[in-house]
Amino acid sequence: MSVIAPKFKLSEFIKSLLDNIFWIILLLVLVGFPAVFMILFVIPLPVIDGELLTPFLALTWLADPTRILPVVQAFMTTDIFRVMAFPGFGFAALLAAGTIFVERKMLAKLQLRVGPFYCGKFEGILQLMGDGLKLISKEIIIPAKADKPIFWAAPVLFVAAAAAFVAFIPVAPGWVVADVDLGLLGVFAVIGFFPIITILSAWSANSKFPFIGGIRALFQMVSFEIPLILSLLGVVMLTGSLNLSEIAASQSVFPWIVFLPVGAIVFFITMLAELERIPFDLPEAESEIVAGWLTELSGMMYGLVQLGTYLKLYAFAGLFVVLFLGGWNGPMVVPPFPAELLTTGITIGPITAGPFPGLPLFTQEMLNGTLMFVLKTGGVIFFILLPRGVFPRIRVDMLLNLGWTKLIGLAFVNIFIALGLLYAGVLGPGGLQ
Amino acid sequence: MADAVFLALAVITIGSAIAALELRSLIYGSIALMGTLGGVAGFFFLLDAPFVALFQIAVYVGSIAVLILFTVMLVKRELIFKKIEDKRRKFAGIGLMLIIMVSLGAVFLDSGIKTITTDEPAPDFRDIGIDFVTYYWPALILMGLILAGSVTGSLVLARREDVENDQRAN
Repeated sequence: MSVIAPKFKLSEFIKSLLDNIFWIILLLVLVGFPAVFMILFVIPLPVIDGELLTPFLALTWLADPTRILPVVQAFMTTDIFRVMAFPGFGFAALLAAGTIFVERKMLAKLQLRVGPFYCGKFEGILQLMGDGLKLISKEIIIPAKADKPIFWAAPVLFVAAAAAFVAFIPVAPGWVVADVDLGLLGVFAVIGFFPIITILSAWSANSKFPFIGGIRALFQMVSFEIPLILSLLGVVMLTGSLNLSEIAASQSVFPWIVFLPVGAIVFFITMLAELERIPFDLPEAESEIVAGWLTELSGMMYGLVQLGTYLKLYAFAGLFVVLFLGGWNGPMVVPPFPAELLTTGITIGPITAGPFPGLPLFTQEMLNGTLMFVLKTGGVIFFILLPRGVFPRIRVDMLLNLGWTKLIGLAFVNIFIALGLLYAGVLGPGGLQ
Repeated sequence: MADAVFLALAVITIGSAIAALELRSLIYGSIALMGTLGGVAGFFFLLDAPFVALFQIAVYVGSIAVLILFTVMLVKRELIFKKIEDKRRKFAGIGLMLIIMVSLGAVFLDSGIKTITTDEPAPDFRDIGIDFVTYYWPALILMGLILAGSVTGSLVLARREDVENDQRAN
């Protein structure tokens, strides 16, 4: 007799399986196929090999694995793919998830703990999934005297603002969601939304700790926005452009951190403050005000705010890479695509696979650029996470003193360095670049 | 398409402006004010001036609205809701509004807005910057001086002699 299921009967097990199969087939026929066809009729389908991909043909194409490549390729040029999958939300969320896991493990090692260990077979690698399931299954508790519309809207707005920030970051040449001419100004405009959302969320909870945390967050974010914007002006002066893709492309010979180290340091410190990371984590100081402005958030609302925070962390690290570390530029390490796959196919023993006419889904430059960008972003994220295991929290008057006097002064020093390089002819027209 | 967007933006801007004036809750009023300022930014986008639009969002929605929210949250409500009913004030206010609207309208009509051509390409923001430091440099310096004066004045106002700070040890 099994301990897990003491009343186990094989006949009932088989019956339940048959039941499930019956319901799956029924639902697929009645709901699934009509839904698929309705979606296929609504989506504008691509022309492949001079033949329009009608909804009826779509399923035959999908059944043929060698002819599915043009369909995938056509899908990858659409805006939906860019927003949802590669340079947009999916890619950023993947990196954010990796960041959370690395942060927990690394902090544990720094403090001689083990960290997440039991979820998953190897070193607690499924801990994040477990936490996500826990957050989804938890009840969302709204405080009785909260301002409900704002309280509900604030986490969603936070994730939306973070996703808008992610949309400006170019990952590889040509791979960016919103390639706008004034990208850096757009970034400044999006950063300006975070304090509003924070203070509205904090106020609407109608509770002491969130309100104190929200006021602190407002102080911190608004006062550090000024050195943040000033520290990036040097790069804009040297590049002569506000387009983030152009700024990244302009660093093919050397990154700007070589000439503007002061600006990079100021931007890194303001970045820590905007992200509420540990030397500046006054808005969520756990030992003083419970969890700061997150205190009353529960269940998936808290999960959304955490997702937004880590998306914002990725976006800030990506911005640092694009502005100071050269973006996607770097040595070409990805090998070129094997040409015989396109013409003859590959023969392994008795089996010949191919030829695959539509195969290079991504170009060599794009793969290499993505690899370089991810490596550099990972490095920057590591340096953002590191102070959490090392530094204590600083006082609020020290924080404001640092932001309003020292960092703004250093940012002006950086601007004068950039102007000096420009007028001395070292950089810019007639100089090195 | 542009007409529909224009109408939607006009509805958002004017509707949230009315809401900002009429709502009893001060917080919702300031959120509605953010809607108004964001709608104005949308108008700038429609007019092919994304530079001005993004600065409108960054400065007005991002900073001014935050300042108003912050003030509203920290000020006692009784001080704001003390109503003064006065007929002479009311009529003076309406008269002032009419004078301002008529004079602004006269300025607009006199500015040659009727003969403007709409097919010209949008000016580059670099040209605006070059104009600022060449032809309009007195205005730039004047604005800088006014801003510096207001910052200095607010610092003087915010300084308090009566608070002794003996807890801080730098």
